[in-house]
Amino acid sequence: MFGQGLLKGLAITWKELFTRKVTVQYPEEKVPLPERYHGRFELDVDKCIACGLCANACPNKVIQITKEKVGKKQYLTKYVMRIEYCLFCGLCVESCNKDALKFSHVINMNQFFRDKVRLVLVDRPAPEALPEEEPAEAAAERPAGARAKTAKAEVAAGKAPGEEG
Amino acid sequence: MGENIFTGIAAGLRTYLAGAGVPPLASEFIVMVVKLLAVIIFVSLNVVWLVYMERKVAAYIQCRIGPNRVGPKGLLQTVADVVKLLAKEIIIPRRVDKIVYLAAPVLVFVPPMMAFAVIPWGEGMAPIDLNIGVFYVLAVASLSTIIFWMGGWSSNNKYSLVGGMRVVAQMVSYELPLVLSLLGVIMLTGTLSITEIVNAQRGTWFIFAQPLAFLIYFIAGVSEVNRTPFDLVEGESEIIAGPYTEYSGMGYAMYMLAEYGSMMVISCMCTIMFLGGWLAPFGWTFLPSWFWFFIKVYAMIFIFMWIRWTYPRIRVDQLMGFGWKVLVPLSLANIFVTGVGMYIYRAIGW
Repeated sequence: MFGQGLLKGLAITWKELFTRKVTVQYPEEKVPLPERYHGRFELDVDKCIACGLCANACPNKVIQITKEKVGKKQYLTKYVMRIEYCLFCGLCVESCNKDALKFSHVINMNQFFRDKVRLVLVDRPAPEALPEEEPAEAAAERPAGARAKTAKAEVAAGKAPGEEG
Repeated sequence: MGENIFTGIAAGLRTYLAGAGVPPLASEFIVMVVKLLAVIIFVSLNVVWLVYMERKVAAYIQCRIGPNRVGPKGLLQTVADVVKLLAKEIIIPRRVDKIVYLAAPVLVFVPPMMAFAVIPWGEGMAPIDLNIGVFYVLAVASLSTIIFWMGGWSSNNKYSLVGGMRVVAQMVSYELPLVLSLLGVIMLTGTLSITEIVNAQRGTWFIFAQPLAFLIYFIAGVSEVNRTPFDLVEGESEIIAGPYTEYSGMGYAMYMLAEYGSMMVISCMCTIMFLGGWLAPFGWTFLPSWFWFFIKVYAMIFIFMWIRWTYPRIRVDQLMGFGWKVLVPLSLANIFVTGVGMYIYRAIGW
């Protein structure tokens, strides 16, 4: 019959009027990010041994590592990612032997100024001597929690500055 | 309940003016101005609402939510859009015919607004109860062709020109089936007065007596207001925005808003001629007559929108072919059948 197709079309659009809407109202509702989402980088400074494998793995030379020798060990003083050149391929995370570098689920990394885009994960002065190099007895004598406290402060310094995000 | 709100206000105003010692002629004039202003404000508000409704219907058909940020449920979206457009510059290209170019978007609202003067919004609620109401509406509504042509011609742009020519061709050729389809109803009632036509539908609505005429009127009406699937006038893929190409800011917005105004005229006429105007169906008079009219008009408008977001645009030769080779002969046949039917009914003495 002539016009059957027209009615069929109308029936379809009528049905669509009442179907569930697929829109996700972004700031209020969010699509859950997958486990392996490539978001903002996170660096566990305590695990990092400043080997520089991540910097070598990076195809865009995004990662800039500054390290100093403290005692016998390499000590990471600065870990900067020029994130404006990063393509989030994840080769750095893959190359990390110590599981220190990881992706987080933070996605809002936009900034008003270009110089703020740079991601400073660690920025700390090198100590005179590493706490691990102290004799075991001395370490045990130290008040409990003090070490944890300093470590926490270092991580906090490595996190984004207040104006970021 | 609420049936006499508006007629009551008018009567109250008249008594007040008479009590204040205003001469009858002046008081009648004041009442008329108030009525027409009320209609203009009502229609303008409706147009603003229709833009929002159109976007919502489109969104729902496409599985989206649509505007929902500006104001509660996005209700102020159109207001925000209009304010934005008001703030924008109206660019006047160097080669345009300035006076005609600027006059067109101003005038484009006039024909639909004029048509609303005779629309009965409820029982006894026609601002002007003309005895040739249908004729007046058709005459006024066809004026908008010229205004689109003004915009298309004065822009001095080939897209505008082609678009303007399309508008004229389309609107003139669909005017014919539009008028001819209404002729069936006019033959049945024997009057051109809108009030009498509505009153003649107390028994049956004319959509049942004249189903073919209703269909033809509806199709021609969609074409008359240049909406999908007949929106060749602004076929983006071919002629950018047709006659509106050179317009910007509020000039452009006026054309768009006028489209909704014309859509309301067509829906109101459809309600009056075929859907029983303000009459309540099944004797459901618990809702006032003006509310029934409103519901019917909005049902028609919804169908317009539903169709717009369902069908693709047709080709220009298909459009002309359909108008002249299908709709006009069909409407003529409808008139013939109606005439024969009336003659037979009269002969058997019904």
